[in-house]
Amino acid sequence: MTVLEIMERADMKETTLAIAYIKDAIHLIQSNSKEKVKVSKQDIIKSVDSDDNVYKFPADMIALEHVSIKDTSDSKYKRIKRLIAPPHYLLEDTSP
Amino acid sequence: MSSYVDREWFFYLRGRELLLYKLLGGSSSERITQSGVFKTQQNELMYPDENIADGLRIEYTALNEPFIAESFEASTGYASGTGMSFDPGPAATISDSNDGFADTGKAFAQGDKIRVQGSASNDGDYTLSSSGTVDEDTLTITGTFTTEAAGERVTITQIPLEDATPDETSHANLNRMLSLALVDYLKAMEADKMGDIQKKEYYMKEFYGKLGDNESNKRKISMSFPIGPFAVR
Repeated sequence: MTVLEIMERADMKETTLAIAYIKDAIHLIQSNSKEKVKVSKQDIIKSVDSDDNVYKFPADMIALEHVSIKDTSDSKYKRIKRLIAPPHYLLEDTSP
Repeated sequence: MSSYVDREWFFYLRGRELLLYKLLGGSSSERITQSGVFKTQQNELMYPDENIADGLRIEYTALNEPFIAESFEASTGYASGTGMSFDPGPAATISDSNDGFADTGKAFAQGDKIRVQGSASNDGDYTLSSSGTVDEDTLTITGTFTTEAAGERVTITQIPLEDATPDETSHANLNRMLSLALVDYLKAMEADKMGDIQKKEYYMKEFYGKLGDNESNKRKISMSFPIGPFAVR
């Protein structure tokens, strides 16, 4: 369906505003369902100081689906579990 | 070497960041330092102690390619077979000895975006040239290929071509049901602008209803309930 068709059905006249609303709506759709899924890969580094286990999410991420790690014994990515609370005994290791 | 990763690796979400931890013990009995041990419940964790190229894989939804040049339903190009070979060029081409690129309703056109799957070394997304040969046995792309002889079962599927500068003629990169949900969203936003909250709520309910319909259309589930002895029949 074209932007013009959507605008006519919604009785809207401002194209720029309609395009902005459509982007907002697609954002909402993507945060509620998995219409289009992307994959991002990053290198894991051996930790030598306290922030080496911190990885950034992709800048365009709306909703997280799965996190997996490459098992180098069989070259397969396997899902890992989420910790619901941070490790509480020590919060930071400055000399791992 | 990482192994048993599904049992020994964990992540914790901290704002926009993801923290990786590894279980101490199990297949990895190494203890880096006594003070480098994290305890969570009964488990002991440590920071990752190895380098893994492309080791972290994150699957997520994103606002990618919201507008496309051709309607979602019109992207029907499809070909599959074992007679496809890849030639890097000067003009990179895919040739099909079985002439399978022009089947009725599944033909490709110049400028289409395609996805190649199943080849030995040319899997990926490509755009067909807007001036090169695109017919029943040849697809010319912009870019390049690795030389590959026929033999593998290769599937070529047309995928929506992004419209980076959307205007009134662009298409929303959604199927018809979700495009109708967009109409409800726009109506809701217009009602919101006019201060008509009741109308806005009505159209937002319609919007979410269509999202739900779109999801349930993929899953056919039937339910039956026993009728109570005092139920009105």
